[in-house]
Amino acid sequence: MSTHHFKQVAVVLLIFSFASVVQARGDDFNSVVKMIEQFYGVKHEGVPFLARAGMKAGRTAARIKGGTARQIAEAGSIKLAVFEDQDFNGEFLKFRSTLNAALSETWLPFVQVLGANEQNYIFTRENNDKYNVLFISIEEREATVIQVTLSPKNFARLLKDPEGTGKAIAEEATINDQE
Amino acid sequence: MKSVFQTKLGALIAAIATLLIASAAVAAQAQDSKLQLGSLDHLAAKASESVDVNLDGRLMQLASKVFSDQDADEREIKKLVAGLKGIYVKSFEFENDGQYTAADVEAIRAQLRGPGWTRLVNVTSKKEGTVEVYLLMNGDQIGGLAVLAAEDRELTVVNIVGPVDLEKLAKLEGQFGVPDLGIEAPKTKKNDDK
Repeated sequence: MSTHHFKQVAVVLLIFSFASVVQARGDDFNSVVKMIEQFYGVKHEGVPFLARAGMKAGRTAARIKGGTARQIAEAGSIKLAVFEDQDFNGEFLKFRSTLNAALSETWLPFVQVLGANEQNYIFTRENNDKYNVLFISIEEREATVIQVTLSPKNFARLLKDPEGTGKAIAEEATINDQE
Repeated sequence: MKSVFQTKLGALIAAIATLLIASAAVAAQAQDSKLQLGSLDHLAAKASESVDVNLDGRLMQLASKVFSDQDADEREIKKLVAGLKGIYVKSFEFENDGQYTAADVEAIRAQLRGPGWTRLVNVTSKKEGTVEVYLLMNGDQIGGLAVLAAEDRELTVVNIVGPVDLEKLAKLEGQFGVPDLGIEAPKTKKNDDK
């Protein structure tokens, strides 16, 4: 192989590897949703359906567009997938291992709380001057995956009080507060 | 005869190799106080609740960036975490007694019998059961801290990697996912109880 060809291959490989990293960062939310679907044999409900049905995520569509109810997450940054009235039976330790392995390249595991009927995970990563946070909550009959972007101030709040701030963000993303 | 380019290249490679070896040695030293807690993971299957907190070096760096110098409370926290290389917590709560074994605890204690670790026997806790606090000393410097709290239905290990003292630990309780261990203010005298 000539030097010229070698350089061309190297450039293509470099571009390809960069594109893969970018894609991995962008698609992790969807990957986690698919992982839950495959592991537990469930199907998530899209936000438009929930909004039409007047279910608990009814306000979420507006918030995704940066509604006034925004308090913690940055405007337009909320990604949400909800699973309702489905069975989440499976080995939670195996699920945790699969999840950690899948996200280990691009996310930092922060807090993981496992109970008999509940799993909660918080992953974080730096995104320029902001911070992405991925929350995964799985209970017996429902699950929620939320990805938000936080300002440094709110990220500090999460680090100080992961449980309280995590709950507040989950509520902000999913609860219909009848505004 | 070697060209100037070849000589410089050789020197550069030697310098890079030296840097790599030196950084590996520093990294190895920094890892000294990080305990291997993976042996406890199997307890999650028996526990009514298990909590796993991982603030590794990368997350600690992010933490030191986001706390404001303007706010007095955050300035204090920033000082607390400055220099720390990690905070790790594993905590298990059980419905019944006897869900974890002496071997589970021994796997942690064995690491704390390693070089540099000293058990502080004069530390007390408001919590029931036994609370053991260990410091890793690198000469005169504190290199890390570990707390092992064992009750009939609860087992908690806290591992702080980097320069921290008990006074700081007390301030970290309830923050960063560090549980409230009820550690009383430390006395200055230290004893090796091993």
